[in-house]
Amino acid sequence: MTGMEKNRWPPGDLVIWIFIMAELLVFGVFFTAYAFTRAHNVELFDTYQLTLDRNAALINTLALITSSYFVVRAVADIRADDSRGCFRWLLAALGMGLLFLVVKGLEYKHHFSLGIDLSTNTFYMFYLSLTFFHFLHVVLGMVILLAVALKARKGGYSAAEHTGVETGASYWHMVDLVWMILFPLVYVMR
Amino acid sequence: MKYKSQKVAKLYFIAAIGLFVGQILFGLIIGAQYIWGDFLFPEIPFNVARMVHTNLLIVWLLFGFMGAAYYLVPEEAETDLVMPWLANLMFWIFLTAGAATILGYLLVPYAQLAELTKNELLPTMGREFLEQPTITKIGIVIVALSFLANIGLTILKGRKTVINLVLLMGMTGLAVFFLFAFYNPVNVVLDKYYWWWVVHLWVEGVWELILGSILAFILIKTTGVDREVIEKWLYVIIAMVLITGIIGTGHHYYWIGTPAFWQWWGSIFSAMEPIPFFMMTVFAFNMVNKRRRNHPNKAAVLWALGTAVMAFLGAGVWGFLHTLSPVNYYTHGTQITAAHGHMAFYGAYVMIVLAMISYAMPMLRGREAANSTKSQVLEMWGFWLMTISIVFITLFLTGAGILQVYLQRFADNPMPFMVVQEKIQLFYALREIAGFIFLSGLLIYIVSFFVGSKEPEATIEGEVVPT
Amino acid sequence: MTTKKMFLRPCTWVYLFLLSLTFVTWFIGVNNLSGRAFAFTVLGFALIKGQLIGDYFMGLKQVAGPWRWVIFVWLLLIGSLITAAFWKTL
Ligand code: HEM
Ligand code: HEM
Ligand SMILES: [Fe+2]
Repeated sequence: MTGMEKNRWPPGDLVIWIFIMAELLVFGVFFTAYAFTRAHNVELFDTYQLTLDRNAALINTLALITSSYFVVRAVADIRADDSRGCFRWLLAALGMGLLFLVVKGLEYKHHFSLGIDLSTNTFYMFYLSLTFFHFLHVVLGMVILLAVALKARKGGYSAAEHTGVETGASYWHMVDLVWMILFPLVYVMR
Repeated sequence: MKYKSQKVAKLYFIAAIGLFVGQILFGLIIGAQYIWGDFLFPEIPFNVARMVHTNLLIVWLLFGFMGAAYYLVPEEAETDLVMPWLANLMFWIFLTAGAATILGYLLVPYAQLAELTKNELLPTMGREFLEQPTITKIGIVIVALSFLANIGLTILKGRKTVINLVLLMGMTGLAVFFLFAFYNPVNVVLDKYYWWWVVHLWVEGVWELILGSILAFILIKTTGVDREVIEKWLYVIIAMVLITGIIGTGHHYYWIGTPAFWQWWGSIFSAMEPIPFFMMTVFAFNMVNKRRRNHPNKAAVLWALGTAVMAFLGAGVWGFLHTLSPVNYYTHGTQITAAHGHMAFYGAYVMIVLAMISYAMPMLRGREAANSTKSQVLEMWGFWLMTISIVFITLFLTGAGILQVYLQRFADNPMPFMVVQEKIQLFYALREIAGFIFLSGLLIYIVSFFVGSKEPEATIEGEVVPT
Repeated sequence: MTTKKMFLRPCTWVYLFLLSLTFVTWFIGVNNLSGRAFAFTVLGFALIKGQLIGDYFMGLKQVAGPWRWVIFVWLLLIGSLITAAFWKTL
């Protein structure tokens, strides 16, 4: 991209942006439903929110932000025609994604060991549904990043043609973005 | 037509159209019974005629899908079908089994049909859409497996395109989910729970993959837009279908005894199901606008655009109307449901099959690319008559449904079911009239195959300059 | 690109800023701080973080026209809805 002049289209394939919009809409509806349902069950939500592990959520937020940052670096590298650098940053990003999955998995393990499930109460229903839906997006995002990383390692992208990297990156940032709202909304706001 | 084996599609298409006529005739019979309760009683009771109407619908759509696949798969894979003889054989088996089943419905009481076909050995009968005797169901599985083997091996042998893979995925899903028709637990909650795995996961899951791939095929062929562009759209559409449609099953789990979280899951995810339908509409119009050339088969393009619009209206808009659980609480099982069922089935699946027939039939009958202008004009009359009548059927049933919901479930002094039915008679009469117009459209559509056969093919007036 | 030599890339600054906002949010969380002031601070931080991710990570800052605003509009929308839902309960 050259200096001042702006683009008409966002980076990556336009189709991924249509997909991102659809995904944001789904998450938006979920967040709104959470907020308004809480308004009718304030005590319940405030009580059970305290049972969530904010430290785990902190680690996970840091993991996703860091991961997103690594992906930004990967894109910067491929724009400088550095496939190896791009591959390494993507690998690092995937490592952070994995950390997220492990930490989230441990949180689930804790809840399940207490016998908590979707039918325990409305708060847990939302907490489990929202975070698990997001969890699946992390998995999907990692699959996409992995495919991009493998292609980058084989030298499949260049400074001239790297739409694939930008496409994967845009999706991954969306996964990060959604968590930026989810974290305060479900773990902190009271 | 590039490959000789594509020819088997023709048989399937002809059978599909024939059974379609039967379906509509029985639709008119049950429509009349809504007005005159004892019409044709006791020869053809309502429950039997209804079963024939819906079963014929499913069966002819399956014929249509298989025909579409037999035409499309060789062309995409750039190789002949591996076993054209098997496709032929299965056609006759399926047609015979289908006809025998319908005759069974009409000639013997349902309970006796169950006895005759030894339902007690593996009881699967008696559930809406899945009324077929167990032996017919087994037949369907055999036909489906042979079909999958045929197109699967052809795809493996030839060029692998996204369209072929999505179609194969959809068809495999269709067969796999049908297996739940054999699972018939005694517990009614579980029974209903898995029944929807066939019904819902078909029309709001795997069938949408079939719809998407056939639509993509027709658009590639008629617009000349780059395959790459069309494939990308297809990816996103199917991703959205699967994300929303699978958990969207929950919109049937509100009142059947399943856990309460389904109220949320069903509402939220199914509320998003219109998105992929909307994308299909945008996709179809976008591709046609970006076309590199005009195709002489205008009727096929009309059907393709029509299905994109009507599927969105019927499934997307009319589906959304009653999909949130607080709304469905009132509308569940009313005429609102029937309104939606008609427009969605017609818009998404009837129209895509007719689009494929419209595109492929001229070639199957020895034309270069399209029918004569005269025949196409008539076909487009059929298109408009059928489409407009289904819109009216939908609107009348929606009117009936709104009144029904209000009088029977919402008003301060709710009235009993039958009293309300009396009060909404007018809508049923109007529905029946619209039904006759539908039939006339269908007949004109059929006539279009027989006129103008001697006249020259339609040609393109004016090339589009590629932009 | 005409790059001046910078101490850190802009995206790295953004990254560090995102981390610091996250720590503040976490601090409010672990101390169970509640009420409008805290809740809406945290929500505001989240919206700012979202906008920064859109602008700098997703690169929308380099885009002109409607796509420039997709993330912004989404944040505005859910931000208002969440505010509306929480307002009376705090
Ligand atoms: C082409 C796709 C679709 C077809 C062919 C279709 C067809 C049908 C049919 C036939 C029924 C009645 C089932 C029964 O016998 O009880 C039904 C029910 C229903 N459909 Fe669809 N549908 C489609 C898509 C959708 C979509 C996208 C939505 C939601 C946005 C939706 C929402 C519903 C709901 C909520 C019911 C249950 C109605 C009730 O409670 O009585 N459908 N659909
Ligand atoms: C291609 C056109 C048609 C399609 C796709 C179609 C599809 C369907 C479907 C899916 C159902 C089951 C609905 C449910 O369970 O809620 C149904 C039932 C019915 N259809 Fe059709 N149909 C068509 C044309 C017609 C016509 C022309 C008429 C008559 C005028 C008609 C009259 C009926 C009636 C009376 C029922 C029974 C509704 C009930 O049980 O309350 N259909 N049709
Ligand atoms: Fe459904």
